[in-house]
Amino acid sequence: MEEDTGLARDQWATRFGFVMALVGAVVGSGNIWRMPYVAGMNGGGAFLVIYLVLLYLIAVPGLMAETLLGRYTQRGVIGAFKNFLGEGWSEGLGLVVVIVNIGLMSYYAPVIAWTIYYLAHAVLGTFYQPGFDPTAFWAAFSGSPLLVVGLHTLVAVLVGFVLLFGISDGIERVVKWMIPALVVTLSAVAIKGLTLPGAMEGLAFAFNPEWKYMTDANTWIAALGQALFSTGLGWGIALTYGSYLGKNDDVPLGGGLITAVGNTSIGLLAIFTVFPAVFAFGLEPTTGAELTFVSLVSIFPSMTGGYIWGLLFFLGFLFATYSSGLGITEVGVTTVKEETRLTRTQSVIAVVGAWWLLGIPSAYSSEFLGWMDFMFGNFGLPLATLMILILVGWVIDSKRARILDLNHNSDVYIGSYWDPIIKYVIPTVMVFIMGYYFATNIEDPRAISGLALMVGLTIGSILLMQFIRRGKTNEPALTPGGD
Amino acid sequence: MAETLTAFGWVVMLSMIITLWCASLVALRKTLSEEDKKAELITRQGAIESYSPRALFELREWIENHPNDPYREIAVQRYNECVETLKKTDESFYDWNDSQISNLERL
Repeated sequence: MEEDTGLARDQWATRFGFVMALVGAVVGSGNIWRMPYVAGMNGGGAFLVIYLVLLYLIAVPGLMAETLLGRYTQRGVIGAFKNFLGEGWSEGLGLVVVIVNIGLMSYYAPVIAWTIYYLAHAVLGTFYQPGFDPTAFWAAFSGSPLLVVGLHTLVAVLVGFVLLFGISDGIERVVKWMIPALVVTLSAVAIKGLTLPGAMEGLAFAFNPEWKYMTDANTWIAALGQALFSTGLGWGIALTYGSYLGKNDDVPLGGGLITAVGNTSIGLLAIFTVFPAVFAFGLEPTTGAELTFVSLVSIFPSMTGGYIWGLLFFLGFLFATYSSGLGITEVGVTTVKEETRLTRTQSVIAVVGAWWLLGIPSAYSSEFLGWMDFMFGNFGLPLATLMILILVGWVIDSKRARILDLNHNSDVYIGSYWDPIIKYVIPTVMVFIMGYYFATNIEDPRAISGLALMVGLTIGSILLMQFIRRGKTNEPALTPGGD
Repeated sequence: MAETLTAFGWVVMLSMIITLWCASLVALRKTLSEEDKKAELITRQGAIESYSPRALFELREWIENHPNDPYREIAVQRYNECVETLKKTDESFYDWNDSQISNLERL
């Protein structure tokens, strides 16, 4: 059943390595600073109940579909589209996913840079010096473009270095200890936080359900956004990592269930880590990035053994963001290596170089970073997800994909309930999300520019790939892929 | 804002722990043990079947109902591979019994 792709392909050495890589790629800063306060602001337990339903109903099946696509085609995102639709315009759809990833990484790398800086100062004990002012410290750091750009460059070097070694010798070797270490470090801080006086108030904020939120559309939207995008659905990461699976590997458990629930489990751990401490010290829990880089920094010195807890927290935070950086970048690296004559080393340099360059404005200005996040988060990701899920749901056909491939070598049987979720529910949800954010931000220039950017990106990518492939003989459409 | 966890709050918190942490650990343990089982079987007998009884039955049904599908050939190939493997190996990975295996025919 093997198709000769003409490429010697790396493979995960172990299923544990694959699972850790995928979980690591989707666990990021959003789990640590966003999940806790979004839950707290949207009815606590009511939000979490909705979130759980959406997680199992949409995110888990969606991730299975994406991983399946990678394992089946044994290709990156452009190759996956080409495999089913032939060369030419359709490859532009894959190119959109790659560009969205490069766009995402361009403003995510500065966040990793912030984490490195804070970890370094946690090691140096800066936060514990007399007269230390976390707000002024944050303002001085974020207002120092040269410093942030320098650290952004360091992130590029660190991410590129690991990716040079490939899948099993690079990513897998790093994440299989980094993700367990992330869980251990967050658990240690959570246990400490739960022993603080006032911790219960934090848990009450996060878990006490305010049922009126169950009927609030905004709560459902917030839960939907968190369930879909914090699990990395549609980013192309599951597709790319899935393409390095062996033919006997399982998709539904490793590629879908563990990724989604593992990622959210770390979000839950973050709730136990952040909220007890925030409430114990009477801080505002809804400040996003400032919660981590200002509020939490201000409380570590007041805690017994604060040096250790601060160090562990920022170490865990760095593991979370760095492993995501590896996953997001690998989407582009795999694709560039497959679709061009570049070697892996050259592909790594090209992709890392692209997001490094594109990321300089985000590193320079947090306002620009906010723009990028708004445009790519609200429009880019739903667009990429829509393309991947339409490929599985409509081009391959979800029923055919499930019967032929999803249940092939699967450790658990996936029934027919999966088919309509992939074919109808997720694409509808993606269109709804883009429409919702556009409609509710119609007076915000970011909404117009974000939507225009994505439409332009799609049309431009399709035209570009059509132009590049012009004159070449198309491969037959609907050619079955790898295994 | 309540300062303590209500009864519902406890229920939500414990439900989250069970449906996330426990589900993660159980799924991780299962997938790793299945990987070991597959590796051990492949080492011992050279091959394992690729579909469970339910999945293979569904595959056959789909092949029969879609004679002109462009993927029929690969579906038949996978079906036959699975049947052949089941017939030539002593131990199956999924819960196949002897009568199920003896009733299988290549397409």
